[in-house]
Amino acid sequence: MEIDETALNGLIEQSRDTHADAQRAAREPLADMVDLGRQTRAAGAADPDENRAFAGENRRRLASVAKRAGSLLAATGVIAAIADYIGSPAFAASGTDVQVLQTASSIEVLAVSTYKTALGLPYIGGSTANPVVKTFATTTMSQHADHLAAFQSATTALGGSKQTKPDPAFVPVVDKAVTAITKASPSAGALLVVALALELENIAAETYVSNMSLLSDANAKKVTASIMGVEAQHVSILLAVQALLKGGAGADITLPPPVAKLPAAAGSVGFPNAFYPTTNAAPASQGAM
Amino acid sequence: MSANEPVSHLSEAELRAMTADLDAIHHDLTLPALKDSLAEWSEDIRAYGDADRGAASEQRLKFDRRRFLTTAAGVAGGVAGAGLLAACTSSSSSSTSAPASASASATGSAAAVGGGEGQMLSGDLQVVAMAASLENSGIATYQAGIKAATAGKLGTVPPAVVTFAQTAMAQHEDHQKAWNAVLTAAGKKPVTAVDPVIQPTINTAFAKVTNVTGLAELALMVENIAGETYQNGLSVIKSAAGIKTAASIQPVEFQHAAILSFVLGKYPVPNAFTGVSLARPPSDYHT
Repeated sequence: MEIDETALNGLIEQSRDTHADAQRAAREPLADMVDLGRQTRAAGAADPDENRAFAGENRRRLASVAKRAGSLLAATGVIAAIADYIGSPAFAASGTDVQVLQTASSIEVLAVSTYKTALGLPYIGGSTANPVVKTFATTTMSQHADHLAAFQSATTALGGSKQTKPDPAFVPVVDKAVTAITKASPSAGALLVVALALELENIAAETYVSNMSLLSDANAKKVTASIMGVEAQHVSILLAVQALLKGGAGADITLPPPVAKLPAAAGSVGFPNAFYPTTNAAPASQGAM
Repeated sequence: MSANEPVSHLSEAELRAMTADLDAIHHDLTLPALKDSLAEWSEDIRAYGDADRGAASEQRLKFDRRRFLTTAAGVAGGVAGAGLLAACTSSSSSSTSAPASASASATGSAAAVGGGEGQMLSGDLQVVAMAASLENSGIATYQAGIKAATAGKLGTVPPAVVTFAQTAMAQHEDHQKAWNAVLTAAGKKPVTAVDPVIQPTINTAFAKVTNVTGLAELALMVENIAGETYQNGLSVIKSAAGIKTAASIQPVEFQHAAILSFVLGKYPVPNAFTGVSLARPPSDYHT
């Protein structure tokens, strides 16, 4: 099946229009947050007892993560890195919401840079790339950049500092994966890229789902809630793409896919859980400044 | 290979193996965590009592009914045309008494008709009841779609589409059970009726469905409404455990929507931010 480039471009244009509408809708809570941030700053600093309790809670959570680690993250000694980071003097001293938002920003920074790296590969962003994959990677990178801007705005609105650095715990994981990708053949490399993107998207979605019950500011909740479903959608599409690639059906990654040709099980591969898990969520203060 | 033969490289066994690990994690870790959240939420609701009935819940609600109707009218272009807008418009404040029995006959789903209304719910429980009724509408939509497909009314239905519908419906059933578990733990009746406001809209749209594409368009509308409703609910729910529950369901509805968009040839993740313009307000639930 050949992809209709004109139709695809039209859809992307429509998507951009809708996206612009959504961004306008996101501005309202962000504007509210600016006001609230000013009020918070006027009322004084964040409660240090609250911060200590929050940090303690995340250390306990970290221990829990370490216990069940068995994935890519555990294999790279990342748990130890998280422990070192949380134990460092630079550990966050700001309010809970700010820490949560800074962590979210740090994940988005990493996501943007990872997609940017992937788009530098000829079989993802170059002339030999599948057009649907290339469009997905480009659009998803842009969406993560929007998420980063939203989380950063939310952070500064609450009186916190804008997080511009990647989540330190996940950087070694991404670096290791990128090294493997650059050495791989295009077909193997494409699978590794999808696996890495999938891991990052899942971490993002699970972290934001988990963060929802930690946030106290109404607008911080709204911003996070408006983003977590999008990351989950990225996961769905990546799961579908991964299944096609693993099945040697990369040519069937088209918009729309050749549904009639797909086996029955393909119908549910993109949404494996009735309830979104949080077992791989990053500790909420992991990326805090 | 004919167009209807499954892709030879991609076997059922391989795909099922890919999802087996995820299923195991889901059952070992996610579901016990959910049960804890539901139990905790029930305790919270008992603790809150009914003290904040009425004005407070209205105040928390950040929903603009006019915005919902306007946006729904836009969606209607791809689904049910003027029928959607007409159904929504006619359902304004008194519309909560829209006949569920009529909707059930149109969708062909007797199971969707039931009770749970008139319990004088407020606060988190009102959000829960709205969510349960919306899940019932989702279940009824998929049930009706599967029934129509089985009867050969939708033409050739690819196996992957059947699996999608069955799995999405099963997940909506899980969601409905989760919401209703909170109600019954609080001593209330489970909500077994469809959403009385949106169901006539679904029925109007479903009556015009003649093929898989039409059914997918309708399901997409239902999934987006569900996802946006729970997103709105996250701003309304007071209990942290309740927020955990709603937060674990909202992304799943949007995942269903992404796959439906993909199958329909629409860009599957159209927005960087999901909105609430299609959200169903808890205040619409007939307490």
